[in-house]
Parts: sequence; structure tokens; C-alpha cells
Amino acid sequence: MVDAPLPQPELLAAIPRLRRYARVLTGDAARADDLVQEALARGWEKRRLWQAGTDLRAWLFTIMHNVFVNQRASAVREAANVSLDAESDAGRGAWQVPVPAAQFARVELMELLQQVGRLPAEQRETLLLAAVEEMRYEEIAATMSVPVGTVMSRLSRAREKLRRLSDERPATLKRVK
Amino acid sequence: MTSVPISDDDLMAYADGQLAHERREAVEQALARDPALGVRVASIREQNAALRDAFDPWLAEAIPPRLIAAAEGRAGGGRLLRTWPALAAAATLVLGIAVGWFGRDAMLERSGTPTTFARQAALTHVLYAADQRRPVEVWANEEAGLVRWLTRRLSYDAHVPDLNPLGFALVGGRLVAGNEKPTALVMYENAEKQRLTLQWRVTNEQGGESGETSFRYSLENGVGVFYWIEDQCAYALSGPLDRAQLLAVARVVYGQLATPSKPAPAAPPPGGSVPKTAPEQPRVQG
Repeated sequence: MVDAPLPQPELLAAIPRLRRYARVLTGDAARADDLVQEALARGWEKRRLWQAGTDLRAWLFTIMHNVFVNQRASAVREAANVSLDAESDAGRGAWQVPVPAAQFARVELMELLQQVGRLPAEQRETLLLAAVEEMRYEEIAATMSVPVGTVMSRLSRAREKLRRLSDERPATLKRVK
Repeated sequence: MTSVPISDDDLMAYADGQLAHERREAVEQALARDPALGVRVASIREQNAALRDAFDPWLAEAIPPRLIAAAEGRAGGGRLLRTWPALAAAATLVLGIAVGWFGRDAMLERSGTPTTFARQAALTHVLYAADQRRPVEVWANEEAGLVRWLTRRLSYDAHVPDLNPLGFALVGGRLVAGNEKPTALVMYENAEKQRLTLQWRVTNEQGGESGETSFRYSLENGVGVFYWIEDQCAYALSGPLDRAQLLAVARVVYGQLATPSKPAPAAPPPGGSVPKTAPEQPRVQG
């Protein structure tokens, strides 16, 4: 496509990061790629709304977060017995940690991924965006459509809980699939 | 001077490098007074680093072709995936796209071109070269440690070429996940902030049909890549330069790797290959 205003190198560079965030959102590698595909397709449709010079990654993260929230909402509506609770995990699969490539399979990192999996979803997502993506709190707030104060309190609770979990780390590590 | 008490949010924002300038000074003064605060900041930073270590390997995974297609506006079919149970119906469409891509690769691979390494090198280059804050894991000021680390993880002697004469200073390096084997990456930057990466990994493939090395060129989504195979290793040099400029750099890299300017080796190099004193430059293909 010749008329694409979205810069290709930045777009391609954003895909691995979108996949990572999608895995944290869905807890499932295959569903995550479906979510990324949907977000990229929406991004393509709305490409003229992107303002050159602004952070393309943050723009795509916001689109993807909205797609995810809408999908989850319809999943909740379909499952009538599940209450619509902002803090609930409805619409998400069980958190499954993909095993990284063999050379990276270090025990302490696997443990950390599992501990992240035990955080409430909102805290987990916020932590990824702040600590791993190194997004600014304001960008995270925009991506997740919450106030900056909420971002900071989620982040602070996530870090505290992770610290507690790593203090009481299990003696034996269960192998994850 | 009035001092507002330091809050937990201040400490967190400071540790994340996001505290507003006017508050930063106050926090730094408090840190100087109270070592316990410093411990908390350090603990947040350590946690951040551990999280990046745990999550960053995901970034190096190969991107499914259907996502590249979607990014280029070529994925109408996949849009059926509104809900997860629809997967089976859409899988055939996705498969159609995938076969197109893999078919192309298989064709090129038969002609002896390792397209996957070049493409992966280009994607890895874009991923890390675009990263302003953490393009590398180990910075240039720890070059000796970087060389030791890459040598150990690849089980192959790492040599970091000196590209300063070409105006490219070493930024640092990192390990990235290859398809099967780890890949080493070192990055360079010039005064115009253009970044080059040199990636290499151990391979069983031989260079050309007669075993000689040749430079091959590939343009992957706007990123130029020169790649070659030499003495058990596949190398890829990627960057935003034009073909001629990139080739000039590739020749310098090749020359330095063939005759590493290291202290006189005490023993002949393992593997039986003897470095040539004046390396003959490979032919250029593609």
C-alpha cells in the first residue's frame, strides 16, 4: 500500500510489544495474537486519525485495549451468570505463562512470571506498561481510560504484592505449560 | 525553603524516572538524608529490571506473517476472529496467508538464500534501534564484560568490530533469541543518531556452494541487511544506510573479524581455520 501514512518500521517494531501486552491481557498466546491482529486491522482502518510525530506504540496500545475491553464486555453479557464487575477476570482465560526460549528459561524469571500471574489483572497490566514498557503514567492512564491516580495506586499495590510473593516463594517450582 | 514531605508516589515516580523536575530535587535531598528511602528506590528499580528480564524474551519471537499482513492492511480475512470459538472457521483464511509467505521463503531457501536470518535480523534491528531508553542490555562502557558474556552464551569467541573510523561508536550489545540458537547483537551509532546493528549466531550452514563467503543483500521493510556466513557463524549487518554505504561498513566488519586485532594468540584458533593476514573480500550477491 503506497498511501500508508503509518511509518512501517515503527509499526513493525510495535508488533512484538503489542503481542506482549496482549498476552498479559488475555493470558493466552493464541488469543493474544488474534487480539493483536484485530487491533492492527483497526489501526489500519483508522490510520488517518493517527497524528504523525506522536507515539505510534501508545496509539496502538490504546486501540488494542479498547478492543479487548469491548470483547470482554460482550463475553460477560453472554455469560449471564457472571456479574459485570470491573475487577473481575471474566472474559480472560486462565493466565498461562508461555515458556520462553530454552536459553532464557532461568528459574527465578519463571517464578517471577508466575507471581505476576497471581496479581489481579488490572495491576498486572499496569505493571507491564510501567515497568516493562516504560510508558509514562499519563500514557498508561490514556491507554486504560482511567485517571492517573488509579494508575499509580494499581502500580503501588502491584509492586507491594509482588514483593510479598517473592518473599514467600515456593520451595518447589511447578512446571508450567 | 519549604519542603513538602516525600510521598510513596514521589518515590515510585522517581524510581521510574518520571518525577517532575521540581520534585526531583526534593526527593534527591531526602534520599541523601535517609538511606532507607534509597533502599526503597533501589528495590523498585531492581524489580523493574527483573520484570524486563522476564518479559523481554517474548519480544524476540518471530512475528506471525498474519500480523505483518494486518499491519499492512492486507488481512481482511482474519477479521472474523471476533470471539475465540470462531477460530476454526477463520483458520483456513489465516492458513491461506501463511502459505503464501512460507511458500515464498521455501522458494528462496532452495536457491540457497537464508531469508529467515536476514528478515529476523532486520526485525530485531528495528525493534532495538528504535528503543531510545534501552537499546542494549550491556552498554559500551562495559565492553570487556559484553564480549565475555556473548562468548559464553554463544560458545563462540565474540569480537566487537571497531567502527569509530567510519564515525560509528559502539552503543553496546545484548543477546537475542534466535530461532534455535541465541544470537548476539552489538549496536553502533553515528553523530546523526543513525544506528547499525551487527548480529551473529553459530550456524551449521556453509557459505557458498564451494564454501567461499559471499555478501548477500536484502531489503526488509526498508531496512538494508548485508549478511554472510564465515567460519561457523552467520553475520547480519543492518541499518538505515543505502546499499553502497552499508556494503562499505560490511567490508570493514568482515576485514576486522577475519583478522581480529587482538593480542597475539597463544594458540591457533579452535576449529582448524587459520585467519588470513590480508583477508580476501567476498563477492557481492543479490
